[in-house]
Amino acid sequence: MSKIPPKRTLPSKEATLFKELLTLYETRQLKKGIKTSDQILKKIPEHGETLCMKGLILTHMGRRDEGIEMVKKGVRLDLTSHIVWHVFGLIQKGEKNYEEALKSYTQALKFDKENLNILRDAAQLQTHLRLYDGLVETRYKLLRMRPMLRQNWIALAVAYHLGGNLLEAKKVLENYERTLKNLPDYDIEHSETLVYHVRLLEALGEWSDALSLLDTNAKERAIVDKTAIMEFRARLTSKLGSSDAEHSWRVLIEHNSECYDYYHGYLSNLGINLSTHPAQALKVLQDFAVQLPKATAPKRLSLTIAPASFAGDDSILSFYNLARAYLVAGLTKGIPSLFADIKSLYSDPEKLQIIQDIVEQAKEDNTPPTDPSSSTSPSTSEPITYLWTLYYLAQHYSYLSQHSKALSLLDVALAHTPTLPELYMLRARIFKRAGDPIRAAGAMEEARALDGQDRFLNTKSGKYLLRAGRPEEAEKVFGLFTKKDATSPGSDLQDMQSLLYLLEQADAQYRSGRLHLALKKYIVVQKIFDEFDDDQYDFHGYSLRKFNIIIYLNLLEWEDRLRSNVAYIKAATSASRIFVAVHDDPSLKTPASSLKLSDKAKKKAKKAAQKIEEVKKAAANANSNEDKGLEPSPAKDEDPDGLKLLACEDPLERAAKLLQPLVELDVQDVDVLGCVYDVAVRRDKLLQAIQALNRARKLAKDHPEVHFRVAHARKLASSLPAQSSSPSSVDPIRVFKDEVDRILPPEVSLMTFNSQYLQQHSGSCQAILAASRVLSKVLESPTDEAEGVAFMTLSTAEDVKLDVKTALDVIAFLQSIKSTRVEEYRKACDGRFELATVFKTSEEREKLAEEIFTLTREGSSNSVNVEPEAELGS
Amino acid sequence: MNIRRARVEDLMGMQACNLQNLPENYTMRYYLYHILTWPSLSYVAEDQGRIVGYILAKMEEEPAEGEHAHGHVTSISVLRSYRRLGLAKKLMIQSQEVMTTVYRAAYVSLHVRKSNRAALSLYRDTLGFTVKDIEKGYYADGEDAYAMQLSLKL
Repeated sequence: MSKIPPKRTLPSKEATLFKELLTLYETRQLKKGIKTSDQILKKIPEHGETLCMKGLILTHMGRRDEGIEMVKKGVRLDLTSHIVWHVFGLIQKGEKNYEEALKSYTQALKFDKENLNILRDAAQLQTHLRLYDGLVETRYKLLRMRPMLRQNWIALAVAYHLGGNLLEAKKVLENYERTLKNLPDYDIEHSETLVYHVRLLEALGEWSDALSLLDTNAKERAIVDKTAIMEFRARLTSKLGSSDAEHSWRVLIEHNSECYDYYHGYLSNLGINLSTHPAQALKVLQDFAVQLPKATAPKRLSLTIAPASFAGDDSILSFYNLARAYLVAGLTKGIPSLFADIKSLYSDPEKLQIIQDIVEQAKEDNTPPTDPSSSTSPSTSEPITYLWTLYYLAQHYSYLSQHSKALSLLDVALAHTPTLPELYMLRARIFKRAGDPIRAAGAMEEARALDGQDRFLNTKSGKYLLRAGRPEEAEKVFGLFTKKDATSPGSDLQDMQSLLYLLEQADAQYRSGRLHLALKKYIVVQKIFDEFDDDQYDFHGYSLRKFNIIIYLNLLEWEDRLRSNVAYIKAATSASRIFVAVHDDPSLKTPASSLKLSDKAKKKAKKAAQKIEEVKKAAANANSNEDKGLEPSPAKDEDPDGLKLLACEDPLERAAKLLQPLVELDVQDVDVLGCVYDVAVRRDKLLQAIQALNRARKLAKDHPEVHFRVAHARKLASSLPAQSSSPSSVDPIRVFKDEVDRILPPEVSLMTFNSQYLQQHSGSCQAILAASRVLSKVLESPTDEAEGVAFMTLSTAEDVKLDVKTALDVIAFLQSIKSTRVEEYRKACDGRFELATVFKTSEEREKLAEEIFTLTREGSSNSVNVEPEAELGS
Repeated sequence: MNIRRARVEDLMGMQACNLQNLPENYTMRYYLYHILTWPSLSYVAEDQGRIVGYILAKMEEEPAEGEHAHGHVTSISVLRSYRRLGLAKKLMIQSQEVMTTVYRAAYVSLHVRKSNRAALSLYRDTLGFTVKDIEKGYYADGEDAYAMQLSLKL
């Protein structure tokens, strides 16, 4: 240690005070801490360490700006003190500036190499930042300093594990186990450590060591998690080819007969290949089904495995018989999820047909006699079975896009039982699929009104109202279940991290052209993922103290892939499309006044903001000595309606930032790669653009989005200068041009490329639309040519199947090229999609909405509460 | 439906299921705290990758002196569209088993809103819980809760 600089040395009285100050901070006696630091500073106003401590305490008390200023001053005054750097690190950590915090801690460690607190904090930061080499070093130091502390051993093993050095991790664990003496009986921490050790051996391929470690410790009851013991045992014995394996899997199945993994484990251990030897597998599953009559899993798995045309020696095991038993049981019991459960079998058209026949037959068998006088005749039919059979068939035909048939089946069901919310929910879904979001929302409101206590129905109704473009009504519905003291229903749902709500809300705003409000909500989704990311921080210390290693390692893996989640992808791609749109057309930055918040909504927002301010002020005044921690309190939202966000100076940079995690995670999704390409070409990042395009082509060469971008890339390539001025050895322009030539040989003209694509995919309306877009936006052909191609989607040829969504895309495209034929297209669709209302004029839709929503409002006022068996709440 | 132990990657699905079904909601941190502290106590029901039901459970952290360790169900729910399959019961049984064998719990407790008759009937009639106490103003909005218990002694 170097000599203490004179300016840090305090006279003895102040030195004692300073020690007191440290204790006061540790025990969070903030007010006393301020007093004590003032006493020191009165005598030595330039004492860096005291200034830092006072600044730190002020920050805790909520006097953030003042506190941080003081800390910075303190640091400047004493650059070689570990205390000032530690304090500065704490502040930066509070701001979630982890990189800078680690730098400060590293600085602090220079001046106090063996400070336990600083080392532990540094290890947490290194884990958070995934700096595993440094982490191993820090954990090693900590273990050397305190080898008696059990968690220090585990921490070092975990550090090696994270860094990929499983062998070292194993050695550390072995050494650790040798140090153990007199373990208390039934020690869960020790049990978890041993399970981790087994896991490590398994990962290293040392299966027989893993098994003997497991068996010894299971016998001695040192490992207490019985499920874990059984699962490891089954996996390890299988891998070792041991004769015990079959029994191990059987034990698991008996323990939890609804876990699919166990059946798969059992079958795969027997070496039964499900697709080549279904008969053997079915026999096994049948035996389980007999042994465990209450279990659903073996029966359901059989349906997946049994080939549709398979008769076998044993006709009981034919798909028809198995499916019939399963379906009839479900219909008789009235299981609402039966269709959802079964529909994955529909990917096989033969199975679909067999199932349809079975359920149609069930309907016939259960139809009540039309002549009431004959009801005395013996009939096996049950009214409830009949009802659920109709419900199933309605879902079935709706799935097959036979909406009218589905609706008429539902009408029969509703006449039979008018109080079952499921029937209205299904009606809503059918309307939605048929292109009538208004009636869909109306039907969902009816479902909700039948059981106002059920939040599931409430959520559905709110969502459908958003889909119908009724955000204000939706908010009211959501508000029936959100916290009453929240500033608004939406803000409660946002605080509770409801991604469903945020995305539906954003999409609804997007559809109605309120880009600023849509963007705002997409960015909230991004922030929620940042929260999920930050959430792991405390567990870097906590989990090691709890010895729950395996789940902690799983946490880190999950966090590393967090943003590959569909909700993030949806938010990032939609937001990036908005950013690209405002880049291309800056006039979008200022939405038409009619699209801005209504005065009423503005007032409401203002009131909400005021409420937040009041709460904050009240909190600040109530107890200014209270510990508010080191994290800044959420700043007042200066841009509640997203207008500033939409008008930002750097839309492309922001879009790139949103997409960056998806690029890093190599997310295999054509839409994502399309967005990456669009942003990259606008930022002149040619290498990134061509890489995205190549990846997209690998996924789906002929995808309409890919086709459009290949055409775009070709045009861009021909407009680039032959030689770039870039001094780097890799010339992006050269690479881009070469790659484009490889994808689309120069001798093929763009026009030919496009018409060939159109010819080859003339049955796909999305492909037709893509070809039309290329004509208009890339080839800059006259509008009537592009229109002509777009209108091909209306062809009545057998193989051209236009759906509602694509038709809406075509309309949006025609509008974007200022086509004069938009009305014509709309009317054609209106005629074709009988049930749809999305192709009506806005006046017609408004009128319908008035009718529907007045009706449901009246309906719900005298609603009754049925179905008391609704499940759960705690 | 597939019933298995909850994993970290299930938590978002559990949170979504909870938000869609129940009035008592929690941020991700709270789910993480549960699963990272008691990794074996929470279970999910899954339909082709989608979480359709879950039980989020913990152990009482500091039982009073002389008190037995006991488990606590923080939240349990099954999507309305997946009812009548007995999923709640199956989830509860798996979790209770672990409470007994791993944590030596003597009983399991839970809270339910006084007004929530549907849930009350499930806990009492289907799962065998009994009302032990009424906790005044237990919920944020001031509503009382029934404190319910089920003995795990065989």
